[in-house]
Amino acid sequence: MDIQQQIMRIRQARELIAGALQGVDIPQIEAMLRNADMELHWALWNLGEPVALRPELEYAARADMS
Amino acid sequence: MTSPPLGSLNSASMGSPFWNRLTETMPRAQLDKLHLHRVQALAHYAYENTPFYRKKFDNAGLKPSDIRSLDDLKRKVPITDKSEIIELQQQRPPYGDTLALPMDFVAHHCETSGTTGLPLAIPYSTYDSVRYGESWVYGFWGLGIRPSDTLYFAFGWGNFAGFWSAYWGARRLGCRVISGGGLDTKGHIEAILRMKPTVLISTPTFALRIAAVAAEMGVDLSKSSIKFTYHAGEPGPTALPGMREQIEKAWGAKAGELLGIAEVDAMAPGCPLGDGVHVNEMNLYSWSMDPISQDEVPDGEIGENIVTGYGNTAQPLLNYRTHDLVRRRSTCACGRTWSKLEGAVLGRTDFMVTVRGTNVYQTAVENILNKVEGISMHYELVLTHEEGNDAMTVRFEPEASIDPANWQKLASDAGDRIHKALHVRLKVVPVAPKSLPRFELKTKRIIDQRPKELRRALDR
Repeated sequence: MDIQQQIMRIRQARELIAGALQGVDIPQIEAMLRNADMELHWALWNLGEPVALRPELEYAARADMS
Repeated sequence: MTSPPLGSLNSASMGSPFWNRLTETMPRAQLDKLHLHRVQALAHYAYENTPFYRKKFDNAGLKPSDIRSLDDLKRKVPITDKSEIIELQQQRPPYGDTLALPMDFVAHHCETSGTTGLPLAIPYSTYDSVRYGESWVYGFWGLGIRPSDTLYFAFGWGNFAGFWSAYWGARRLGCRVISGGGLDTKGHIEAILRMKPTVLISTPTFALRIAAVAAEMGVDLSKSSIKFTYHAGEPGPTALPGMREQIEKAWGAKAGELLGIAEVDAMAPGCPLGDGVHVNEMNLYSWSMDPISQDEVPDGEIGENIVTGYGNTAQPLLNYRTHDLVRRRSTCACGRTWSKLEGAVLGRTDFMVTVRGTNVYQTAVENILNKVEGISMHYELVLTHEEGNDAMTVRFEPEASIDPANWQKLASDAGDRIHKALHVRLKVVPVAPKSLPRFELKTKRIIDQRPKELRRALDR
């Protein structure tokens, strides 16, 4: 798998996590999903992707768009 | 597909000389394109979330959208100094108007050691601590430290950021961690012999102190389990080659060093070649500035390191003065494209004293003392003000094996070498072995006895 494919898979994984975060009401699981998303955001950052400074800023932007 | 053994990375990763070959060797143009995007994002973030930067930008008649190039950052964005942050924190503790996130996000609080004045309060979010720790891993990996290693922290924890972040790094890499906690020096030695760690984490001077106490106990640490030593917090094996020699000999280990600024990042992990540090360009953008004119200084010339950090989102810093004087170059035989600071920090803008018209930097004097055989690592530089001029006296402990009859000859030798290299004569005075204070954290080298009003702001 090349770097571009890895980036695409990581982006897809974040989408899946965003879906799982919708309506979650178990604090332990919400914290775990947020941590998982933070790690994937960090992976994209370290693959040289122009992501936001923090994942929460992307959540806010997503909420503004919906 | 077979699973890798539990607890280790796969063989392709383990064989890599880089923690991240993609970014550590990224071409400059690509790095700079990323920096521009990240600097712009940080400027918007800081402006929108901290009263401090909103006011600073507004006072300069600047909007974040005015930053269209890295040159705009250097020329238009006002310089930030630690003293501004400290002043705001004094007015409204703990963080003043510099906090960019709700307090709920602050997961860890540290403080600077206050060696140059009042301590600075530093908030970190969880994500900030992850990014900060990652900086250490570049250095660990480059030196040869792997997840199978065991790190011994000869560190009393407290609020000092330096080795908390090393701990965060150890967790990222997946090493075993042993805390020396509040043990005394003898306790550290006994713990190292009992637990057999492979890496010592400490300040460089404390590594030497542990080795000296071990020798008094009849323990030769060069035959211990330690394979690597890794240091931060004060000038170490990269800045002071003489210190590298002493540490590596005493411990029988390879010594590494990282240049960090507590409020920014563990920002420049040591180059595996041992002659400098590489700025972690995933966590910050940095450039060199003439401290007087504030113009950019080209690669190869000495200037003050100015940093913009992406990692501390709780307390963002743009164009932040480090007061570290560095010589930067853009290529390195190790293959990294990340900006290299030769010899780490060459001096401090605020630890410079002008003696009879000559600028004398602490590190320059230290480097000379390290080369004089018979002078131990225990010395201090005493600053006074005499007849209208700053003066510096070097007080040093000869090694215990030196006959007191030869102490004065050592002092003359050191004085001559300083004169030859720096073109200034300093008083050099021997003092009895073990008479100068010992420190577990940062060793206090500068004893500033000048009247407060004659010192630079951060030295008061």
